[in-house]
Amino acid sequence: VTSQPYYLPTGDEIELFRAAYEQRIPVLLKGPTGCGKTRFVEHMVWRLDAGRKARLDEPLVTVTCHDDMTAADLVGRYLLTAGGTTWLDGPLTRAARTGAVCYLDEVVEARKDTTVILHSLTDHRRILPLERLGTTLPAHPDFMLVVSYNPGYQSGIKDLKPSTRQRFVAIEFGYPSEDLEAEIIAHEADTDRDTAAALAFLGNRMRNLDDADVIDGPSTRLLVYVAVLIGNGIKPARACEAALVQALSDDTDIQDAIRAVTSAVFAA
Amino acid sequence: VRSPARSSPPDFGAAALFYRALSGRDDELAGYEGDAAQHPDTMTRVWLPDPAPGVAGVAASDWYRVALAHRALHHLLGTFDLDLAAFIDDYPRSTLAAEIYATLEDLRVDTAADRLLTGLRSTAQVVRAHELKARPDAWTLPPRAAAAEALVRLTLGARDVRLPRSLHVPVSTVVAAARQVTTPHATARTAAALTRAVYDTLSRLRNVGIAAGPVESFDFAGAAAYPAPAPVELGADAGEVLDLRFGPVAYRDVPGPRYRGLDDAPPPSEGVVAVEPGDDGSGDEDADGADRSDGVDSADRATVDADSAGADAGGVVPDSAAGLHPGELADVEQGALSASGRHEYVYPEWDAIAARYRPDWVLLRAAHPPGIAIDPAKRRAVRRYAHLLPGLIAALERVRPAGRDVQLRLPDGDDLDLDACIEALADLRAGARPSDRVHAELRPGRRDVAVAFALDLSASTAVRLPPTPDRPGTGERILDLERDAVTLVSEALERIGDAYAIYGFSGAGRDNVVLTVVKELEERFSAATLRRLGSLVPDHTTRMAPAIRHITQRLVHFAARTKILMVVSDGRPFDIDYGQQYGEPAVLSYAIADTARALDEARAQGVRPYLITVDPAGNDYLGQLCDPREYHVITDARELPASLAELYVVARDETRATRSVSRLPSR
Repeated sequence: VTSQPYYLPTGDEIELFRAAYEQRIPVLLKGPTGCGKTRFVEHMVWRLDAGRKARLDEPLVTVTCHDDMTAADLVGRYLLTAGGTTWLDGPLTRAARTGAVCYLDEVVEARKDTTVILHSLTDHRRILPLERLGTTLPAHPDFMLVVSYNPGYQSGIKDLKPSTRQRFVAIEFGYPSEDLEAEIIAHEADTDRDTAAALAFLGNRMRNLDDADVIDGPSTRLLVYVAVLIGNGIKPARACEAALVQALSDDTDIQDAIRAVTSAVFAA
Repeated sequence: VRSPARSSPPDFGAAALFYRALSGRDDELAGYEGDAAQHPDTMTRVWLPDPAPGVAGVAASDWYRVALAHRALHHLLGTFDLDLAAFIDDYPRSTLAAEIYATLEDLRVDTAADRLLTGLRSTAQVVRAHELKARPDAWTLPPRAAAAEALVRLTLGARDVRLPRSLHVPVSTVVAAARQVTTPHATARTAAALTRAVYDTLSRLRNVGIAAGPVESFDFAGAAAYPAPAPVELGADAGEVLDLRFGPVAYRDVPGPRYRGLDDAPPPSEGVVAVEPGDDGSGDEDADGADRSDGVDSADRATVDADSAGADAGGVVPDSAAGLHPGELADVEQGALSASGRHEYVYPEWDAIAARYRPDWVLLRAAHPPGIAIDPAKRRAVRRYAHLLPGLIAALERVRPAGRDVQLRLPDGDDLDLDACIEALADLRAGARPSDRVHAELRPGRRDVAVAFALDLSASTAVRLPPTPDRPGTGERILDLERDAVTLVSEALERIGDAYAIYGFSGAGRDNVVLTVVKELEERFSAATLRRLGSLVPDHTTRMAPAIRHITQRLVHFAARTKILMVVSDGRPFDIDYGQQYGEPAVLSYAIADTARALDEARAQGVRPYLITVDPAGNDYLGQLCDPREYHVITDARELPASLAELYVVARDETRATRSVSRLPSR
């Protein structure tokens, strides 16, 4: 993280995160895809790191979780060398050693038996047992764990174990309000305010179809993409087609409905 | 007398999503023919003319978009957020006040629509111009109606209006007030405040006779507010109508009870007379009286019943060959059928009486319903049966295996197999050739369980169960319960990761067995699945065997250790040409023998069938079809969701237990 990542707060999330960090309480970020969870973490880590005397080489260690992730992927593993094996720290171990913030993105995607290794790190013990090394690593005083997940994704098919989730304070993210979202789009895509406002309006209308379980989103990120395409000379209708209609659904009936809305907002 | 109402013609399908997106509301779109003034929108229903008025250069779908965008923006911009009941009550002539408020809001909304929906602007302008052409000449109307007409014309984008000169000053005041709602910052409150100014001006004008002075063009652009004269006591002259309805505009909603803060409540009885000639007036206010007035109520019900293939409330209706003609039975003895389409399949049928298969005897068509309508059924089902879900998931998870095994001594993998490493190193030092299989990995096993649900869609599933105290309103149909049941179980399956498919089956003769595909095994669960589930409709008869044969094939070709077929039905197998050739008494045994044979075939191919029926007589024939553990008869259809969930847990347990013990006999 070299320059301050742009982040526009929608509520008291910055104060909450800071307070949690002061006590090193693990934080769980909940919210739909593309609403700014990862950007928020980057922004906060930048703020925290800027306040340190000695800056870390890697103040934020991000792990994108997935179904096939094993505990070894987080903690570390032996690698083969010519004369035997050497140990390689996993990202979680690395962060716990150096005092970085470890950010597990989409943590529910990881299997539940993988995430239980977080338990001893996320309570008063703050230790990481390294089973293969036969040792226990006490976490650096600055170490903090942040996880994120999207509760709406696949409608509760995946969930954290209660014993895991009750180790975190939760900060809930939603899509920003229309005005704020317009400001974000205008900043991120470096586009004019009218286009940004129209896209924010469009995005908010489309989310009514999300409420109806027809589509997911669209996310602020997707709206930024549309704005970027428009800023690069693509006609609004075409940009919406590429970045919204096709991105939100493969079902032709739903695509037609989305297209009807986008073409109502942007003239062809 | 209300013109016949049609509910949701197919055109409205895509329009419904458009409206839903813009408004965020789940309102019903309904079509009407005839008089717009008779069809004011309610808080749950949007009335649209059907067919759409022909406007040169505007397609019907575009016309509907303009109309729906207008309605949606009313909600989005807060037209109904004010306490309209209190607001309107301040006015002695409440209909007039409601009309003024509605018209000012129409103008505000249309202005905002042009600003927010730029892609629709040019179409909307054409539609408005078309409406403008159809307006009556203002100067032919009584003074108050004429001034009101001038206001409506202004909202439709007119530049001027021809009026008797004595009306120029009041209309100027009205126009000056109305223009204030066109600023971007105007809200419903602005319109409400301006209603007063317009009301004061209009109510001072008489509503009888024709205004004095020569008819001259009045230019809206030059309008300015004039100081209001002192208030006068309003009194009705002989022949003057008490209140005033403005002439309706086709793409807008007409102000009904909800503009008075009422919804679906009886309108206040008030002497209301319409401007439009030929309008009887007194019934105008009856907005959505549709739901109460006798004529329409029964008409509505007739529409519903048409959907449910004539099933009636209360008694059980046997499956019938609805819509089929006796003549169609004639081809029963003709030979084999062949599949010609991409989604067509032919299956044999077991003729128990001749003791032989009739090859290629049944033509099955896999139908993929488009299902555009938004269906809240899943949420409803999940909410209603939410208490069953945790237990069901827990029960299923108990029998769920870890799903992944550590595999050692692999040539590559995620992790090192330390034992193998040590051996390899020892070999290396001893001068022997070491093995390169030193890795270990967690590998996911095969999908463990695949289940296919087959729902009976025969006409009898349209039977409505009588309402009960805890479930008031119109009774649920058996089909609704089938849907709820499969929704509940699929919710649990999604969480534990079993693969599942959902089909509906119905038949109308051996050449027309329809298998409606809601979800295939390989398919991911999506919103489209829900909508397809929502679009299942009862249809014809229960020819179960071909559906069983087809679904068995789907399961056989899916990689899973355990394969389960769950058939949910509401009656015995029956079709119009299903054993009838051997005479009426043989029909039941013929159908049951064929079904039993199809179930045997499934078992032989490693698919474990289970049957669940809400037919209380099910015990009589299901015993002939399968093992007692394989079927379940429930006496109260409302137990279907809970029973299906239970039976699935049992089925899953049993199949997993027996799988390793005995191989099923192959035929």
